[in-house]
Amino acid sequence: MKKQVPLWVAILMAITSMLYAGGSKESAAPAQGEKKEKLMVYTSMKEVLIGELRDAFVKKHPNISFDYYSAGAGKIMAKIAAERQSKQLVCDVIWTSEIPDFIAMKKEGILEPYISPEAKNVVSPVSDPEGYFTAARLGTLGITYNTSKVKNPPKTWQDLLKPEWKGGFAIANPALSGTAMVSIGLIVNTFGWDYIEKLKANGARMGQGSGQVVDDTASGDLLGCIGVDYITIDKIKKGAPLAIVFPPEMLVIPSPVAIFKGTPNLQAAKKFVDFLLSKEGQTIIANSYTLPSRPDVPIVKDVGLVEAKDAVARAMKVDYNKLMAEKQAVIDKFQQIMQGK
Amino acid sequence: MVDIYTKPKISVAQIVLLFSILVLVVVVGIPVILIFLTAFFEDGKLNIPGFVQILKDPDTYQALWNSLVIAFGTTLVSTTVGVFFAWLVARTDLPFKKTMKALFLVPFMLPSFIGALAWKVLLSPRAGYINKFLMALLGLENAPIDIMSMGGIIVIESMYLFPFVFLQVESALERMDPTLEESARISGAGLLTITRKITLPLVLPSILSGALLVALYSLAHFGVPAILGTEKGIYNIPTKIYERIYSSGGSFRAIRVGTILSTILVISAALILKAQDLLLKKGKYQIIAGKSMRPMLLKLRALRTPLLIVSILYIGITVILPTVTIFLVGGLKTYGLSFELKNLTWANYLEIFRWKMTKDAIWNSVYLSLGAALVTMLAGTMISYVIVKSRPRGKFILELLGVLPFSLPGTVIALGVILTWSGRFGINIYNTPWIIFVAYVARYMAFSLKSNSAALQQVSDSLEEASRACGATHFQTLKNIVLPLIRPGMISAFFLIFLPALRELTTSVLLYGPTTRTIGVAIYALNEDGETVRAAALASVALIIILVGETSIRNFLARLQKQE
Repeated sequence: MKKQVPLWVAILMAITSMLYAGGSKESAAPAQGEKKEKLMVYTSMKEVLIGELRDAFVKKHPNISFDYYSAGAGKIMAKIAAERQSKQLVCDVIWTSEIPDFIAMKKEGILEPYISPEAKNVVSPVSDPEGYFTAARLGTLGITYNTSKVKNPPKTWQDLLKPEWKGGFAIANPALSGTAMVSIGLIVNTFGWDYIEKLKANGARMGQGSGQVVDDTASGDLLGCIGVDYITIDKIKKGAPLAIVFPPEMLVIPSPVAIFKGTPNLQAAKKFVDFLLSKEGQTIIANSYTLPSRPDVPIVKDVGLVEAKDAVARAMKVDYNKLMAEKQAVIDKFQQIMQGK
Repeated sequence: MVDIYTKPKISVAQIVLLFSILVLVVVVGIPVILIFLTAFFEDGKLNIPGFVQILKDPDTYQALWNSLVIAFGTTLVSTTVGVFFAWLVARTDLPFKKTMKALFLVPFMLPSFIGALAWKVLLSPRAGYINKFLMALLGLENAPIDIMSMGGIIVIESMYLFPFVFLQVESALERMDPTLEESARISGAGLLTITRKITLPLVLPSILSGALLVALYSLAHFGVPAILGTEKGIYNIPTKIYERIYSSGGSFRAIRVGTILSTILVISAALILKAQDLLLKKGKYQIIAGKSMRPMLLKLRALRTPLLIVSILYIGITVILPTVTIFLVGGLKTYGLSFELKNLTWANYLEIFRWKMTKDAIWNSVYLSLGAALVTMLAGTMISYVIVKSRPRGKFILELLGVLPFSLPGTVIALGVILTWSGRFGINIYNTPWIIFVAYVARYMAFSLKSNSAALQQVSDSLEEASRACGATHFQTLKNIVLPLIRPGMISAFFLIFLPALRELTTSVLLYGPTTRTIGVAIYALNEDGETVRAAALASVALIIILVGETSIRNFLARLQKQE
């Protein structure tokens, strides 16, 4: 045992130095002559999506030290609120799927308007003509189900009320997940709270984040859930026993990107927005199995995605201004129903 | 005390005293006062109805109730398990005792939220591997075990907390004066009577102090209820505070609810401490003597091998099974696949060292826990010295402040630190590593004070007086006499802080910023985001770091002891 001490210490030091080396490499790469810029993006996009965008963006702009914080939209808004309260906003750019938040932030006057030269190519059900936010992706959500447990794939939302789905369906917690929040808003606007009550009566439950419900479906803990397109398809590609179907009434949720007013890194922030909306950025987004917000970028075929034009035509509608005003009430009511209070 | 040198001594002591008080006030006192103020006052006015109203809210009331039930259940189960195994190791002829004793301490190394993660994989109602296996084996329709329940939370917490009891009781049983039991036996008492009337009362203080640690810990524990409970709507106070703060966009109202729940936690913790005090005062327990005689060992006879197997199985099920599960899940291509070779990959592990978020998390945890351990150890030494050795007036303030951290749950410290350090006093360290650092110092100050004052109490005053009589200055005396003598106490304080801080979750989960996640937070966030395989991979890396840390530290301490 005693002889092993140096070995243990050596391993420990090796691990630390690995971490250290990785860390210092990034900070040791300021470009020659160019001014070093910083950029912090808060996003609800998962690693599989934002990771590749980061790599491509950093490659294109080596003088920008780019960092992001990925978490559910609810957490991101909580962080931002806390940071604003302590007057120390760390993030420069926000990119989530919770449109009501963007409308609220615009009204509060904390966003910087920016109409990117690329913005003219963007098509989205929700847009802001003054450029306070621009849709960088069209998220589609469908019914994700476990293929080894579900023999009769659901076709409509009503199928989920059948006895075979008893106790097996979940929707992510709208307080944590922006896509879940907007999805519930859309569903309630289309089918009424009655539908949510019926889901609950059939044993549906509220999960955690939008990724966790998909993972729980993959493991078989759930039969199905409302799943985000790219999260589900990425796992299907890795071999998970999952499939996703899009009922006739579709959930199409644009994910806007916005810049915070007063950011010291405005130039870098604009470059990032330009990059997201550029053909290159949009192609990366499309290749991560979700819909780009530019019609001139093709989607990935044969993974079950619906063409953007088709999706927008089938999309459930909601008045986003109204949804913004009712956001907290919607979350509260949903939680109340799901937790049986 | 001769007048000639009391004068300068007091002035030095007073400076040290003032400084110590200042450290405790800033790190512990102000945050606690702010929590109470925020809880009871609103807009500068006393607001008791508001306080009561929040407590009456079924949501918060339920969380409080759950916290108490979990704490009570966990204490009961861990005490039973801990006492049983302690008795087995200390008082029977169980084979391979030394190894078994070391093995029973291993659950300490496995952070309980990582354990919970593994057990969720194994025992979640529909998908748990064990549940699936049992269902197939017994032809059941429904899963036999649901780990995501109050009972599940209690069992999992107990699994990883029982060593607190085991450690205390085992050493008490070993140190116990065997003549007491022998005289009872000679007087004709049976084994049951001896156990009831002699052995149990003698080790009761140790059982109680172990149980107390478990109760305090589980009352305010975040990780296990967060992983096993929240999805099913089971909240305890720390998870409720977390949920409130995150679902309301960090609004002040949520923080206020948090502070109100925190005061309840502090009061419950204080009551538990008080109860222990009362129970211990009832009898005289100083009969545990430093005798070198070994107590009689009970011969297990036919039960010897079965009990050994039970013990080994227990360790296997509670430690090895979850650890292996975590490593395997960390190797899966995606969650939900079976553990076949074709589904396994190194990619997730490599990603941990490539991904900035996880690299940052590991690095943050390492330097924050090292820094906090160092500073807390030094400050604790200084404060303990003032408390134990010098007798200036105003010492009681220090003692009071020194005891406070014992009854402060991690969540409470986090809230207090947020209230204190986000600009109210001109210093704003929110979202920086410093806020976590300050919280760690506050959270672990109790460990440092305990370890250091124990060491200082063993240093006789006569040694210092001798040094001063020979003409050494106060500083020289400290450096040449006191410090070398209490060094073991200081070193053990350092490690008592470093190792738990390395895997801290309860406090950091409320304090982290985009670049200041710790290992615990990163694992938790990954799990919550549905990156289960990556969460498991990072947890495996964390386990390796903890194992390497513990082993090398234990060897280092053993060598140090040999030198002395």
